[in-house]
Amino acid sequence: MTDTADNIIVTIDVEKYYNNGALHALKTVNTTVKRGEVVVIVGPSGSGKSTLLRTLNQLETIESGTIIVDGVDMYDRSTNINKLRENVGMVFQGFNLFPHKTALENVMLAPLKVAKRPLAEVTEHARELMYKVGLADRMENYPSQLSGGQMQRVAIARALAMRPDIMLFDEPTSALDPEMVGEVLDVMKSLAAEGMTMVVVTHEMGFAREVADRVLFMEEGALLVDASPDVFFDTPPHARLKQFLSKIL
Amino acid sequence: MHAKQKTWLWNAVFIGIVFALSYSVYFASQKIEYNWRWERVVPYIINTDAQEITAPGDGTVEIDERNHQLTLVVDGETTPFVVKEYTELQVSDGDLIFEGDTLATLEQWQIGPLIDGLIVTIEISIYSLVIALVLGLVIGLMRISANPMLRNMAILYIEVIRGTPLLVQIFIMYFFIGTVMDLERFTAGVIALSVFTGAYVAEIIRSGIQSIPVGQMEAARSLGMSYPKAMTFIILPQAFKRTLPPMAGQFINLIKDSSLVSVISITDLTKAGREVVSGSFAPFEVWFTVALLYRVLTSTLSWAIQRLEKRLSASD
Repeated sequence: MTDTADNIIVTIDVEKYYNNGALHALKTVNTTVKRGEVVVIVGPSGSGKSTLLRTLNQLETIESGTIIVDGVDMYDRSTNINKLRENVGMVFQGFNLFPHKTALENVMLAPLKVAKRPLAEVTEHARELMYKVGLADRMENYPSQLSGGQMQRVAIARALAMRPDIMLFDEPTSALDPEMVGEVLDVMKSLAAEGMTMVVVTHEMGFAREVADRVLFMEEGALLVDASPDVFFDTPPHARLKQFLSKIL
Repeated sequence: MHAKQKTWLWNAVFIGIVFALSYSVYFASQKIEYNWRWERVVPYIINTDAQEITAPGDGTVEIDERNHQLTLVVDGETTPFVVKEYTELQVSDGDLIFEGDTLATLEQWQIGPLIDGLIVTIEISIYSLVIALVLGLVIGLMRISANPMLRNMAILYIEVIRGTPLLVQIFIMYFFIGTVMDLERFTAGVIALSVFTGAYVAEIIRSGIQSIPVGQMEAARSLGMSYPKAMTFIILPQAFKRTLPPMAGQFINLIKDSSLVSVISITDLTKAGREVVSGSFAPFEVWFTVALLYRVLTSTLSWAIQRLEKRLSASD
C-alpha cells in the first residue's frame, strides 16, 4: 500500500450478499492490483472468486465497500459505468460471442458503436487482433462455425478491441475441450508478456505458476491467501490452501 | 422399398379423402338443388362489361372528333359536362339530350367490389401490422423493465386486451372511444386491431428477449454498451429471428381477424362479400371466393416471412 498511485484496482471492505442476505458471497475483501500485474484467483467452486471478478466491472453490484478502478470510484454517483467498462475488457467462461455477427463483426462492434471510432481504423485494428489471436483465416466465419478454442480467442480479440487497460478472465478455459485449452492460454500468456493488467479466475495451476505475479486463494467469500506463485504453491501459508492444493495437484 | 410403398399408399388415401370431401360438397348442393353459377362472381372481381356514360342533365351535345372529346352543354349550368374517355359514341353532334340518356360506352376493365374490399383488407392489415409491431415492442420492453410502474402498466394492458373478445373491443373502440375522440370508422378499426394484436406481439417479443442467454447482455454491457445499445445491436436482432415463426402466426391471425371490422361498416373483403351475395344471388360461390382471397393474403405473408427466416439463418 506504499505506492497507491500504481494500483489500478483497489477494493476496500467489499461485502456482497445473495438471496436477500441469506448467502454472504464476499466477506470484507481487501486487495489491490498494480498496473501491468497478472493476478490469478483460485479457489473451490462457490468460493466467490467469479463474483469478486464480476464486481470489478459491476456485472455484480456490492452491498458495501469501495472499488476503485483506474482512479475512479465505481460506486460514486457521478461515475459513468459504461465509460468505465470500456477500459475493462472481460472474457467469459461461455465465450458469449454474438451469434448473429461474424467473428470480425464481433470484434468491430463495440469500437464502432460505443467508442465511435472511424470504420477504417476499426477494421484495421480488428484485423490486427484477429492475426494476433491466430484467426486471420476465420474472420468471416460465424461463431457457430468455430471451435470452442477459436470462439474464446475471438472473445479475447473482441475485448481487446476497445483498447482496455485491464482484462478480466472468468474461467476462460473451463468450457473447452482439453486439447483447446493450450491455444487460449498461449494468447493469454502473450498478452501478459506485453504488460497487460490481468485478473484471471482459473483452475489452470500451470498457468498460475508460470504467468502470475500474485496468486489469491478464496474460500466461502473470504480472501485467505495473497502470495507470489512460489510461496503459494511450494510453501502454502494456509492450512485450507494446503488441503485444496493436495486435492487438485 | 417397403417404406416407400407405404408412403405412396397413404398419399393416395389422402387424395382420395380430398376427392370424397369435394364430392360431398357437390352432393350436398345437389340435394338442396343448388345451381352453381361461378360466372356470376366474375363481374364482382373484375368487370369487363362496357360501361355506359349517361347524361347528368338535359342539354345539347358537341363532339370534337379530333380531340376525342364529347361536350354536353347542360341547360342552366355554366360548366359543361365533358367526356374524354370513351370507346364508342351513342350520340351525334348537335343532338338534344335528356337526363339519363346514354352518351357513349367505355370498354374498360374495372375492378369489382370484391377486389375493392380486398384492397381495404390489405390496407387495414398493413397499418395494423406496423402499429401492432411498434406497440408490441414498446409494451414487451416495458414488461421486462426493472421499473414496477412500467412493468405493471404492461401487464395490465396485456391482461385486459387478452381477456376480452376482439369483437367487443371493436365495438368499444368505435362506439365509445370513436365517438368521444371523433374517429373515422377506418381509424377506429385499425386502432382496435393494432391494440389487440399488440398485446400478443408484446408477449411474443418478451419471450423472445428472455430466450436469449443472459451472457449476451453481460458481454454487451462489459464492452461498455448502454442498455438501449445492447438491446438494439445484440438482444433484439437475435430475439427478432427467434420470434419470426410465432410472429408469422400472429400476423396471419391479424389478417383473418380484420374481417371482424366489417361489423362497424368498413367495406372490407367480408363486408364486400356480404353485399355481393345480396346482389348476385350466388352465396356459396361468393363465400368460397372470399375465403380463397383471404387464403391468398395469408399464404403470401407466410411465404414472405419464410423467405426472411431463410435469409436470417445465414449465421446458424
